Amino acid sequence: MNNALIIGQYVPGNSLVHRLDPRTKITIIFFFVIVVFVANNVPSYGIVTAFALGAMFTSRVPIRYILKGLTPVWFLIIFTFILHLFVTKEGTLFFDFFIFEFYTGGVIQGFAISLRFFLLILVTSLLTLTTTPIEITDAIEEMLDPLKKVRFPVHELALMMSISLRFIPTLMQETEKISKAQSSRGVDFRTGPIKERIKAVVPLLVPLFVSAFKRAEELAMAMEARGYQGGEGRSKLRALKVEKRDILIYLLFAAVVAGLFITRSYG
Amino acid sequence: MKTRTLVVNSVLAALYVAVSAVIQPIGFSSIQFRIPEMFNHLVVFNKKFFFGIIFGVFLTNLLFSPMRLYDIVFGVGHSAISLGLIILLAKYIKNIWVLLVANTIIFSFNMFIIAFELKLALGFPFLLTWQTTAIGELVVMAIGIPIIFALNKQVKFNQML
Repeated sequence: MNNALIIGQYVPGNSLVHRLDPRTKITIIFFFVIVVFVANNVPSYGIVTAFALGAMFTSRVPIRYILKGLTPVWFLIIFTFILHLFVTKEGTLFFDFFIFEFYTGGVIQGFAISLRFFLLILVTSLLTLTTTPIEITDAIEEMLDPLKKVRFPVHELALMMSISLRFIPTLMQETEKISKAQSSRGVDFRTGPIKERIKAVVPLLVPLFVSAFKRAEELAMAMEARGYQGGEGRSKLRALKVEKRDILIYLLFAAVVAGLFITRSYG
Repeated sequence: MKTRTLVVNSVLAALYVAVSAVIQPIGFSSIQFRIPEMFNHLVVFNKKFFFGIIFGVFLTNLLFSPMRLYDIVFGVGHSAISLGLIILLAKYIKNIWVLLVANTIIFSFNMFIIAFELKLALGFPFLLTWQTTAIGELVVMAIGIPIIFALNKQVKFNQML
């Protein structure tokens, strides 16, 4: 098994962030992603940075996990900074050599957008680092509950998510196993002409699809044999409950949002 | 939703995530051939695969994407709109090859949604980003056509649900 099999990179813990109701985390992160765009000056960026870093330290998730999650986007963050350095022609010219003209506005904008992007990734990563996929499923089901009134299949969606999460590790192992089995028969996925490498995908996907759909067939039959009839009247093993700490976090976030708008207007 | 449809779509979503995570994209220059991308063609063979594909995109972004919430909203939006359009088109066009080509064009054109995401999150120039992402999508989806067709001969997607 490789590192990719650590689904969602959940890091077990007992911190305040871990213990928050998953609905609270999803709601706050959802609104954070929107309000982060309100920041437009040093004090307002200071507020969103303080909130994001505060959440990170409170979660007690080891820094190395967070940095590992950021590995794929460092390039994007640096590229964004460089792009704005070249494209933005505002402020005063501070570097002029050959065709390279850098303005102070480019540095400021590049830095601001890169910082905003970094904060977005940091905060959204905290959701999956401190919440199990099953908790996220439960939270989504609860949050979509009002849609049942318009006959939206909320229970079915939650069940689909649970079944998928159950099968992901199994199918990952299966994919690796078939990939290795085909490699041992001489199929080469990594080298050779592109055409051959793409053709090599077919003998990998055929057994994978056949095996996956066979599993689905068996599960569907087992569910029907046990009388599964949808979500009507079903009770739950895990019940979500909003605690005092959730309300406090909502109030804190409301203060952050208010601070953000005040500093934007007067900062 | 029938139990069988529900379960098959759930397993398809899991397969989408598994293949995304385990199989490295086959790259040539700046265009990457991501195998799950061609799962988008499944809806041409059977419209009931819509939910499985959408869920696959959702879960892959939730579990592995560094841009998580952004990719969930825009990625799922892009797939849902494109798949919805091809399902609509399939009511009038019955030729599978034409539908596969139309699907490729629709997905590529709709990359403006992803270009908008990148403009919003990173301030990338919209038109240039739309062009480059659309070309990438066009190539991978076009390569996916013969592969998914070959796969259908063995797996028979249209008879599955």
